[in-house]
Amino acid sequence: MGATRKYVVIDPATGKIDRRIFSEQAVYDDEMARIFGRAWLMIGHESLVPARDDFFHTYMGEDPVILTRDGQGRLHALLNMCRHRGNRVVRCDDGNATRFMCTYHGWTYRNDGALDHVPGKSEAYYDALDRDSLGLVEARVETYAGIVFATWAKDAPSLEAYLGDARWYLDTVFNRRDGGMQALGPMKWLEPVNWKTMVDNCSDNYHVPTTHLSSARMQTRFLGRPRLSHKDQFESPNKHAFVNGHSITFRDADDNAPRYVHGISTETFQLFQDYHAATMAEVERRLGAFRARRVQLGNHSIFPNGILGFRLALPRGPLQTEFWHFVLVDRAAPEALKRAIRIGSQANNGAAGMFEQDDVDNWRQVTAASASQLGRRYPQDLSMGLGHAGPHPEYPGLVSERYISENNQRLFYQRWEEFMNAESWADIALDPIKARFEGTATLRG
Amino acid sequence: MKKKRARGRSRTRPAARPATRPAGLTPAQALWLELMPFYIREAWLLDERRLTEWLALFTDDVLYFMPRRKNVLRRESHRELTPLGDLAILEEDKRYLEMRVARLDTGMAWAEDPPSRTRHLVGNLEVAPLARGEVQAKTAFLVYRSHLETDHQLLSGCREDVLRRVKGEWKIARRTIVLDANVLLDKNLSVFL
Repeated sequence: MGATRKYVVIDPATGKIDRRIFSEQAVYDDEMARIFGRAWLMIGHESLVPARDDFFHTYMGEDPVILTRDGQGRLHALLNMCRHRGNRVVRCDDGNATRFMCTYHGWTYRNDGALDHVPGKSEAYYDALDRDSLGLVEARVETYAGIVFATWAKDAPSLEAYLGDARWYLDTVFNRRDGGMQALGPMKWLEPVNWKTMVDNCSDNYHVPTTHLSSARMQTRFLGRPRLSHKDQFESPNKHAFVNGHSITFRDADDNAPRYVHGISTETFQLFQDYHAATMAEVERRLGAFRARRVQLGNHSIFPNGILGFRLALPRGPLQTEFWHFVLVDRAAPEALKRAIRIGSQANNGAAGMFEQDDVDNWRQVTAASASQLGRRYPQDLSMGLGHAGPHPEYPGLVSERYISENNQRLFYQRWEEFMNAESWADIALDPIKARFEGTATLRG
Repeated sequence: MKKKRARGRSRTRPAARPATRPAGLTPAQALWLELMPFYIREAWLLDERRLTEWLALFTDDVLYFMPRRKNVLRRESHRELTPLGDLAILEEDKRYLEMRVARLDTGMAWAEDPPSRTRHLVGNLEVAPLARGEVQAKTAFLVYRSHLETDHQLLSGCREDVLRRVKGEWKIARRTIVLDANVLLDKNLSVFL
């Protein structure tokens, strides 16, 4: 540890968490610099910028960023801020353009970030402006199975090291097919919730039979889905795993069960089953038999703010988060299957999703309680399953004994502390890659 | 109105039955007069939380669709609304609509329990006949939602419906809802539009 430890917010022995981290502006400001200014952040997907000169407008934390594919097909993540005064040079959500002109004074940038044109270069600036040093600020970019990540940190490790063994699990959804995935979305909305609560909820399977029981019951009644109860969850053989800040929950999957959760109903089941059977040989070749057949990724988060798949919790102050909801579908899936997944997904998730709409009022009260001078005297209690997690012979990461556990949440806040107290990436530990990545799938796809 | 409700099925009959056209009205004006009460009634059903009756206003093959609305340049306005097949905010068939309504009666649909207080103001009706006796009806809406203690939202947008007569009553066979927001400012979208 290079500097004086500043943040001590979780007691690993008791799971008590200081609530101030969910409401204080000063903490939030540190998060923007020390977490969002440093970590690899999910910002987009290659399928959102499929053609040369395509762009997609996104965010790294609060900072607006243009994801571009330049004329040579290379990806760039460019801060959407004219280097002259700071105006945004892009105001659209997406499009296709070789250049971006600032609407204030006309400074114009190429889509690789270079400052290409300044009105009055000779007449007003006497040819003294150093255009080469005034390109759009560019972040480092890497991709994982089509998902685009970016970081502002020059000293950040590779994306492969950052994801580490979490990728062993993530591959089972994101890296299944040779043809890759296609991103649909995003749907965007604001929730009056601190961003961390949305992220830590990704490992909270405990809430599902309470928060979401009405929707689960409707799925049973209308779609023929299995009943959901606390008992099923408590007795589930499924587990949590934690790697490098990434929280994984996974199912010890039945060999022949379809892998999707959204859109399966009595009528569509065969469609999912047929697709599963037809693609299994390919998936086995890509991931090896064990991962292809026995591991099914469940809810998960990618540190710091990736939520359940390729979805984003974008911080908008300590008390507000902009949620970006995407759906990823296998590019090569039959249209009928894509439709079932799309419809099932919108019914469950998103601003209007039956499951997701019931989360918000719970979370926002968690945030509101943290802003209370009285409420914050009493820490959150995340003690569930303390002492019941560790290494596992078959599964990488720190693995919980049970599916219902707060082990991942405790570790998430410890990782948060580590980032907040680090002076540089040299102070942030990375778990070595130890898992056996069987099959032909690579980081790139 | 409440008393009438107790008298059984006839209560769900909208004022949209083919009526004798008052003298001096064009067919388009008569259609407008027939449909405006339909939309007023729908608004009351929603605001009075009579959602089972509201569901009966839709055909069994309804598509209830709310695309996303993007910021694009004026010259690319054709890309402003996401097409069917892209990720929508809502892309519902009748069964999913029924699930949403039935869910509210479980006592555990927390986004709407306690329920929102809504006011649907629907107007600017334009109607145009389509083939096979169907009608296209466009309306604009302002929907105010108040929830719990101090949460409140104003949803503004338009609806483009395709209406069809089923057994003499107008039903909504397709509804496209276009919100005027890009990033929704609402914590969730748990009320019907």
